[in-house]
Amino acid sequence: MKIAGEFEIDAPRAEVWEKVRDPQVMVQCIPGCEGIEQIDATTYRSQVSVKVGPIKATFNLKVEVVSEEAPHTVLSRTSGEEGTRASVVSSENVLRLAETPEGGTLVSYEADVSMTGRLGKFGLGIFRKKADQLAGVFVENFRAKLGVSA
Amino acid sequence: MTELLFPTTVEEAVALLAAHEDARPIAGGATLVAMRNAGLVESTHLVSLDRIAGLAGIVRLEDGRIRIGAMTKHAETASCEMLSGSLEVLRKAAGMIANRVVRNMGTMGGSVANADPAADYLPALACCDAVLTIAGPGGTREVSILDYVEDWYETALGEGEIITAFTLPAPYAAASSYRKIARVSGDFATASCAMALEADGQGVRVAIGACGPGPIRDPEAEAALCGHLGDPEAVATFAKALADQADPVDDVRGSAEYRLQLIPRLISGVLNDISKETV
Repeated sequence: MKIAGEFEIDAPRAEVWEKVRDPQVMVQCIPGCEGIEQIDATTYRSQVSVKVGPIKATFNLKVEVVSEEAPHTVLSRTSGEEGTRASVVSSENVLRLAETPEGGTLVSYEADVSMTGRLGKFGLGIFRKKADQLAGVFVENFRAKLGVSA
Repeated sequence: MTELLFPTTVEEAVALLAAHEDARPIAGGATLVAMRNAGLVESTHLVSLDRIAGLAGIVRLEDGRIRIGAMTKHAETASCEMLSGSLEVLRKAAGMIANRVVRNMGTMGGSVANADPAADYLPALACCDAVLTIAGPGGTREVSILDYVEDWYETALGEGEIITAFTLPAPYAAASSYRKIARVSGDFATASCAMALEADGQGVRVAIGACGPGPIRDPEAEAALCGHLGDPEAVATFAKALADQADPVDDVRGSAEYRLQLIPRLISGVLNDISKETV
């Protein structure tokens, strides 16, 4: 399942980059994120809870930064599982920051997500909608963190 | 291990839901039991609504409105003769749910509480302007079906609240119809459409199902279509207005693009049903 989107932030790219690469900022912006722990220079561990209708799931995720080119591109890989349950999720992610003519930043992201196990049964179509919704919440949180309005 | 509780009044059910943090109401169980078996949901307590007197059954109120108890099974709704004319759409929708086994098990309250966007009741109730009665820790309140679905599988139902009844306006003599396109008979809808002719025979109320988080209705577009039901161009404009508000998923039942293509076809189909009945 491919998830992609973009949004504009009324803040210079260097500042956006700094915030995007700060786990303590991200933990407060990612909806359902219960903590991010840095394991080494390029590896993070995180717990994220998601609720879709009657289904609640908490994932233990490992995020590896595969490569990064400051201040505009991060390639990362996420893998994780849902506690002792059988759902396994993995994704390949690309994040890009581009400068806009107005001096702001255009943030674009793409993720290729695969999910198996009990949540896979529920259907990926609905998860894509949920992902779009969560992305919207993230953007609001992120804008608030940078002190800029939409 | 799940404990199954059997309250006998709505108040007791609401109290039990409030008393146990991880409690969940269970109506007919047609969906919830399957989801539990698939490991999708779990709860420490299931509060069965099955033994609460007065939650099942369909009655005509003194003012002519029809009240359907939340625990009324699809089979009863599908054969209820009070649901005639402008409300026949609901009877037809009930009769198209899954198969006889599920219709003898599932309930209107359970289905609507689950708010599966592809389920049959939501568009039919939306086209009937149904009002839900909801009971919870704060007492009882009424919510229009048009305000009920808030997002994908998210509804106006708050923590510890249950649906107790659906109230429908008094039926009048006019055609109404429900159609769904599904991969096989009894499947959830790929897309669906509920329509009822207004009492004056000039306008229609239309709701599209399975093409967004909740049923799609557009009273403005309905007003514009009023008096032009026989005009293919007006119907096409109307269908486009509804399709423009759709936000369908891509899933095993069909792509989002395909679902958008189904909307005008379904609208022509139900209009055809209605004109046949009216002639």
